[in-house]
Amino acid sequence: MPIELPVHERMYSGHLACPGCGAAIAMRFLLKGLGEKAVLSIPACCWSIIGGPFPYTALQVPVLHTAFETGGAVASGIRAALDARGDTETQVVTWAGDGGTFDIGLQSLSGAAERNENILYVCYDNEAYMNTGVQSSGATPTGAWTTTTPTGSPKPTRKKDIMQIMAAHRIPYAATASIAYPEDMVRKVQKAVSLKGTKFLHVYAPCPTGWKVPSEISVKLARLAVQTRIFPLYEVEEGVRYTINLEPVGYLVDEYYRTQGRFKHLTREDLDRIQAQVDESWDRLKALARIG
Amino acid sequence: MSPVTFRSVRDLPPMSRSTDTMLWNRTGSWRFLRPRYQDKVAPCAEGCPAAEDIARIQILLGQGDFEAAWLRIREENPLPGVCGRVCYHPCETACNRGEYDDPVTVNSLERFLADHAWKLGLSPPPPEPAAGGGRVAVVGAGPAGLTAAYFLLRLGHEVDLFDAREEPGGLLRYGIPEYRLPLDALAWEVGLILNEGVRFHGNRRLGSDLTWDELSGYDAVFLAVGTWKPAPLGAEGEEHAQDGLTLLEAIRQGETPEVSGKVAVIGGGNTAMDVARSLLRLGAEPAVYYRRRLQDMPALPEEIQEAREEGIPFQTLLAPKRIEPLPQGGFRLVLTTMEILDEDEGGRPRAVPSGHPDVEVEVDAVVTAIGAGPSQGAPAEVTGEGLVAEGLHLKRIAPEGEWAARPPVLVGGDLVNDRKAVVTAIASGKEAALVIDTRLRGRDATSIWPSIRVGRKGGVSMNRYLSGDRAAQQDHVVRYDELNTIYFRFQERRERPRITLEERRTGFDEVKMRISASLALKESERCFHCGQCDQCDNCYLFCPDVSVLRDLRAGTREINYDYCKGCGVCVVECPRNAMILEEEPR
Repeated sequence: MPIELPVHERMYSGHLACPGCGAAIAMRFLLKGLGEKAVLSIPACCWSIIGGPFPYTALQVPVLHTAFETGGAVASGIRAALDARGDTETQVVTWAGDGGTFDIGLQSLSGAAERNENILYVCYDNEAYMNTGVQSSGATPTGAWTTTTPTGSPKPTRKKDIMQIMAAHRIPYAATASIAYPEDMVRKVQKAVSLKGTKFLHVYAPCPTGWKVPSEISVKLARLAVQTRIFPLYEVEEGVRYTINLEPVGYLVDEYYRTQGRFKHLTREDLDRIQAQVDESWDRLKALARIG
Repeated sequence: MSPVTFRSVRDLPPMSRSTDTMLWNRTGSWRFLRPRYQDKVAPCAEGCPAAEDIARIQILLGQGDFEAAWLRIREENPLPGVCGRVCYHPCETACNRGEYDDPVTVNSLERFLADHAWKLGLSPPPPEPAAGGGRVAVVGAGPAGLTAAYFLLRLGHEVDLFDAREEPGGLLRYGIPEYRLPLDALAWEVGLILNEGVRFHGNRRLGSDLTWDELSGYDAVFLAVGTWKPAPLGAEGEEHAQDGLTLLEAIRQGETPEVSGKVAVIGGGNTAMDVARSLLRLGAEPAVYYRRRLQDMPALPEEIQEAREEGIPFQTLLAPKRIEPLPQGGFRLVLTTMEILDEDEGGRPRAVPSGHPDVEVEVDAVVTAIGAGPSQGAPAEVTGEGLVAEGLHLKRIAPEGEWAARPPVLVGGDLVNDRKAVVTAIASGKEAALVIDTRLRGRDATSIWPSIRVGRKGGVSMNRYLSGDRAAQQDHVVRYDELNTIYFRFQERRERPRITLEERRTGFDEVKMRISASLALKESERCFHCGQCDQCDNCYLFCPDVSVLRDLRAGTREINYDYCKGCGVCVVECPRNAMILEEEPR
């Protein structure tokens, strides 16, 4: 079945993303889902560089490059300014990395969500501070190598459950999306902009450079993350109504982990432990979907 | 697109605001791997002895361009309406979809395309005149001869097509029953070939009405007179048995043979099935007797299945020993009980007498259908020693003795093919046309052969011979594990509908019904289009660098190497392996 997406293209070639960049693919899908009138706020992240230096841009929508911790705050401000001018049509979108969302920008995001600002906050998640050279973030998964969690002592704790955090704010809409499922992602962007209040999208965007994988498999890895239930596709409405969008085959996590350089030090026991974590999270998500 | 320059501080905007795009940045210079579109060979095309470009045919069909799809078949095979009915479809056996759920019903889609053209009265564009051709005699107007005549004419030769019988078609006309291949469907397709300028001469049997003196006046001869001579049964009293093929011919001539009551049909091939099922339709009670087991029968599984559905009993592991006339009329058929040994005998397991008691049945008639020898009039050289290999489905009479002075005589069809089938005969005819064309134009067939063969095991392609678009195909046969099957979903195989059992038992109406356009489109959707771009656009959608350029009107894709960084995502996400990632040339 051919994939059907809006035909308009609002991104230029010539940008500075590494070959096979998941975040570049994710941006294309976001722009396909957004209407004609949108403005992006981009706190410090890979896309601060990818989009090009002054006086250039790789995007056909207005962008504000902002400080690391201000994703939620700047978007709130732009929204207020537009509203003051009577422009309720233009969508205000924050496009932030996992570092700027899970860690450094969490307070301003939480503030915006608590005020239920009428914005769309999109976190493209490549699971570490990639732009500065692969430092561990709150989104880095258990067992991963980064320059701050070297193979001798890889990341010991679990990835922060940002979706639960956002759901706890009882915002109208929060959803996960993946670059391997473009129709699903575009639909979620379209649904988000049709709703009022704070909307949150968590987009899985593999980083071939930081994950130590060949560039050509970045979409395939994103797909495997869904198929192994490591990154399920689901939506949460009003913080409580859970809908799982795709019932994955449930491949073993090995399928995903064994292809990546950042996990190559993991032992059988490690993978078994990770499998148990994934199974537990999946069962929990299923239970939430049942209640909702 | 050159970088923006500021000549002085005064040129700078009050805040750092973008004024131009990143398009000046030709990221193509980063690339060390280069993706490229590359059509490859689908396994069905390699499996087809006629080398039809099935994946491309399915793409055209799926786009609703039924006429183009039909013409695409006719580039390699002038008889899609025949093959869509009676072919043993090795394409489906090779189909990658078989590893996913079930193979695509290529055979019924082929018939759909031919029937569509027939219904609308479409005719192919006339052959373009080509200079420097010769005069060629084709002897035998069965599938091999018709195909050779068709291609020879298109290659610019004059063709005289001779046949022993009144009308062209050979086994298709006189051997295959109406309920499998209706005469009007055959006549339409044969007519398309003859109308292009092939001169047909009926009632010219080689050896009596057609002499080698006359044939020596041609530049080349293609001999494909088939195997109509009954093979001996090797049983006592075999003179009491009738020949199955003769019986089928009589029925095809419009006669109603006087065969009634219980009839023993001896054999396990398609002719045995045709005889038994025809007899059933004439009101007799046929039963099939075969020396091996059901699973060893050379007949098509669907023919066996349909015969059994129609209620014809099958008695296996029984070989005829004796036929005795009975005083009250009819015969006693004595059969030896056989058993199967774990040994190979000409591709089938060996059957030997088991030592168990003989079986006796009383029947009104015995009909044999156990294979046949070269037709009457075929020179003795065609039975082995006198032949030299010339192609995959083609031989040539060695130019020795009296043959040295004659024009080259190529031999094809059932006379030489190990697997005697319509599509292998068609392959013979095409190879004969190719070989004759190369000879008459002074080209070397052996050097051309490897480049026109589709896949390592496949047949030869006329499109490639004529430097058509298939010449650009990489000769790699796409395997199932080279596809990205995530982009496909399970879809039930749609078998073609058949008329009711009651209708089948009592008349010669075609058993398999034609399928509708909507059903054909649905079934065609199941095709993976292995190795061939069908413009699904995954390459475009997933490109992180917006470097796949589309021409939506022309339906073409192109990679913009100015910006492509060579990440290779497009190659991995191509569902059908129609792309390749190779080292960037330095």
